[in-house]
Amino acid sequence: MVFSYNWLKEYLKTLPQPEKLADLLNMHSFEVEEVKKEGKDHLIDIDVLPNRAADCFSHYGMAREISAIAKVVLKDLDVKFKADKKLKSRELVKVEVLDKSSLSRYSAKVISGVKIKPSPQWLVERLKSCGLRPINNVVDIANYVMLETGQPIHAFDLEKIHQEKGDGLRKIIVRRAKKGEKITSLDGEKYNLDQDVLVISDLKGPLAIAGIKGGKYPEIDQKTKTIVLEAANFDPQVVRKGSKKINLRTDASLRFEHGLDPNLTELAINRASSLIQEIVKGNPSSDLIDYYPKKTLPKLIKLDLSYLKSLLGMEVKSKDAAAILKRLKFQIIKSGVDYLLVKVPSFRLDINIPEDLIEEIIRIKGLENIDPVFPVSSLIPPKKNLEIFWEDMAKNIFKEAGFNEVYNYSFFGEEEASLFHYSKDELIELENPISSEQKYLRASLIPSLVRDVEKNHKNFKEIKIFELGKVFRNEKGFKEKRMLSFLITGDSFYEAKGIVDLFLNKLGISNIWYDDYKPTPENSRSIVWHSQKAAEIKADNEEIGFLGEISPSILSELKIDKVVVCDIDFEKLLNIASEEHEYRPISRFPAVVRDLAILTPQETRVVEILNIINSAGGSLVRDVDLFDIYQGEELPDGKKNLAFHIIFQAEDRTLSSNEVDRVMEKIIKILEEDPERQVRK
Amino acid sequence: MSDLKLIKNQAEIELKKASNFGELKQVFNTYLGTKGKVTQILRSLVEMDKKERIKIGQEANLVKNYIKEIFEQKSKHLKAKSAKESEKKEWIDVTAPGKKPSLGHLHPLTLTIRKVEEIFQTMGFSVVEGPEIENEWYNFDALNIPKDHPARDLWDTFWLKTKEGKMLLRTHTSPVQIRYMEKNNPPIRIIVPGRIYRHEATDASHECNFYQVEGLMVGKDISVANFKAIVLEFLKRLFGKPVKIRMRPSFFPFTEPSFEINMTCLSCQGKGCSVCSKTGWLEMMGAGMVHPNVLKNAGLNPKGLQGFAFGVGLDRLTLMKYRINDIRLLYGADLRFLNQF
Repeated sequence: MVFSYNWLKEYLKTLPQPEKLADLLNMHSFEVEEVKKEGKDHLIDIDVLPNRAADCFSHYGMAREISAIAKVVLKDLDVKFKADKKLKSRELVKVEVLDKSSLSRYSAKVISGVKIKPSPQWLVERLKSCGLRPINNVVDIANYVMLETGQPIHAFDLEKIHQEKGDGLRKIIVRRAKKGEKITSLDGEKYNLDQDVLVISDLKGPLAIAGIKGGKYPEIDQKTKTIVLEAANFDPQVVRKGSKKINLRTDASLRFEHGLDPNLTELAINRASSLIQEIVKGNPSSDLIDYYPKKTLPKLIKLDLSYLKSLLGMEVKSKDAAAILKRLKFQIIKSGVDYLLVKVPSFRLDINIPEDLIEEIIRIKGLENIDPVFPVSSLIPPKKNLEIFWEDMAKNIFKEAGFNEVYNYSFFGEEEASLFHYSKDELIELENPISSEQKYLRASLIPSLVRDVEKNHKNFKEIKIFELGKVFRNEKGFKEKRMLSFLITGDSFYEAKGIVDLFLNKLGISNIWYDDYKPTPENSRSIVWHSQKAAEIKADNEEIGFLGEISPSILSELKIDKVVVCDIDFEKLLNIASEEHEYRPISRFPAVVRDLAILTPQETRVVEILNIINSAGGSLVRDVDLFDIYQGEELPDGKKNLAFHIIFQAEDRTLSSNEVDRVMEKIIKILEEDPERQVRK
Repeated sequence: MSDLKLIKNQAEIELKKASNFGELKQVFNTYLGTKGKVTQILRSLVEMDKKERIKIGQEANLVKNYIKEIFEQKSKHLKAKSAKESEKKEWIDVTAPGKKPSLGHLHPLTLTIRKVEEIFQTMGFSVVEGPEIENEWYNFDALNIPKDHPARDLWDTFWLKTKEGKMLLRTHTSPVQIRYMEKNNPPIRIIVPGRIYRHEATDASHECNFYQVEGLMVGKDISVANFKAIVLEFLKRLFGKPVKIRMRPSFFPFTEPSFEINMTCLSCQGKGCSVCSKTGWLEMMGAGMVHPNVLKNAGLNPKGLQGFAFGVGLDRLTLMKYRINDIRLLYGADLRFLNQF
């Protein structure tokens, strides 16, 4: 809220210079957003904390706060006026509260003999400096009093309120709006109301939206002679709900939403009466219509000073604590060396428990006075977090393998959903997305990774990226799951597969194998993968992820070249990863390497040949490396050439050339049992 | 002068004159090769009488050894010289750029999170995590943020479409305070790093998803003074030097008293610059002493229990640490940016 420095000064004997005041507020009360010189005044934008709105969304309230932090004397508000003894509000107006739970107090006073004119210059300037538009003297005074006391008040033209036939009283009714009821506001906007909105109404219809905005119909105009001022204490939640419902927030609704001191209604009406008499020359009635069925009692709190010492880690003497609380207008009912019994002023809605008082004491005293002290506690070592341990390990492996880590948004849009064939049922949709591109929670990391290629391919020929993050799905309830996905550009299926092997081995998972990707018929998402270049990754018999090239149809849609993507269920990895790692003794005897090239049908799987080599070779075959796959014109139709290095080694002796030859012959013989296969000699 | 002396002098001159190894070898052969002059003399010894044989034999052997010695010396010298010459042909430009291996890079947020975890773990804090999809109870009610209360407006929330009940994306890591205290007894010392969400338009300093680390220490006699010591130690270790802070009053429904921690702006050393909007201070974290209602809501008896809680924006720490001026770079996956970490 913007405060006028000159205005604040009116309530205080002395006031520190604006910059000094801002520093004080910053360190003891609220953050000052800005101090701006405006003519002869300074405007100070103070970020009043939401729990203090009740007492500090007003110049008088802020002055009261400043009086405590700057140790200066606060003056009383002038609420004196000369009442018209013959004029009785009760003989003109009757207030009827139908919805009793929606307010705790409703006060009203009639003022006759008003002359509607523009406001004096000083008043116009005050309102303008706080961002309000001047209208006429009565309305401006009502607004002024709100900015001064924090209590919204409203003025109706008395004669526009309809009279009851019998007693001739003008009736003000506080009730819920009826469904379909309409109101035109003071600024000419039309609102459709319903039961969620509280209204101030007369016998014919709504006069105002309670706590939010006045209606056009009973407004003060040039002909107005008698007015009725109202000040109420509406229930914060009722105003908040109503304001949300009709989507209208005003200076008044803002104050009601945060709650107000019920004592303020009377004070505000008296203050307004005083100003109206002074400026508009009206005659306030001698009585106050006051619906206030249950008086709010002041709160008493006992503060244990040893608790204060333990909580702050600093001692504050009983005398000092009491002095600070008194500066804040708290009353000390009783006190001792180790306790204070404190009466909370009614305007401090935020003070309810001893901790609240401790906060008051330390913020006025200054938090900077607390010296740092390390806690004394048992030496309990922190627990190892395995999820984070494996996450760190996984990230390090990918980094070592030359990948860049990316963090993408947790959202994707309709476009990704349809491109990657997600059905609406399995996605979690946001109720209030910021944009249509962020309509859903991401169900996979892949769409964003692929999009990252789109962003980077102008600058980088080769891209290797990974992300480890949560994905979200609607599977009989909302599910979130940690996934690890990586992407390599180009025709890089085997490179990606090598990365998967390396990665899983490093996590202590060795029994990995790959199977053709077999989409279930109902799984439309199979379209994401290239039909011939996709695999399921298995550890033992569990599927832990997928690896494959993204389907050409998606790539062409996104206008990017081939990419290979791998998607691993990190939660499943967590269950099977292991830190155990045993070294394998290095044989003292030399290894012998023989090459083997074999012509096979194109559809032959490398794994079949590998299995034959390994089983035929037996224990002497230490390792088999595929170093070339060749398909070319010079080969017979439908054939490909596979070339292997076979490494032979024994644990206990140097292998002779003859011995190795015999094993090779055996391998070749078994390989050639199938006439389609031919070992090239 | 005898023949041998003459031969010796001549051989020495010729050997020393040789300019390469080929020439040297040729000269050597002229004297000590199978048909060399000295070799011939040695061979002719058999035809001489005993007295002469001894005399000339001794002399010839001395000459032979002498020539051999000269030859060795000279050949060593020539080899070294030729090696130097051939190296010269392999000159390289040491100022030409080196070949860098292509390394991968961890995201700057990962680096910050790891650092934060490491610092707190050494101070005995366990690292815990929690779900990103939350319900109203854990995200708001249990944290003493009542329904239909303007305090809720402090957290702009993403709501999820549900058939029944209300679900949301957590607006802070604080729900994990409750989740953890429900299952663990005090003393409690945890930090909770994680992704959180705010319904905010994005700009250079705001994002709709970002990272926070929550801290919670609950036990007997845990005080504001303790919090101050822990946070100063944390900042000192994170930035590698002592950092000045100030504490200002603030409001959070789940702490009482509540405060905000500012730290001297690292860009201007507190003199005031554009980074700190000329104040010399940067907002670092919100903190406070755990509200008794929060302990109650987590199923603990607040009597005799107290502690502090805090929340730090990890994105902001990262931006400060690496002097990055736009938070959106963290989520933009621009490799030109990520390659630098």
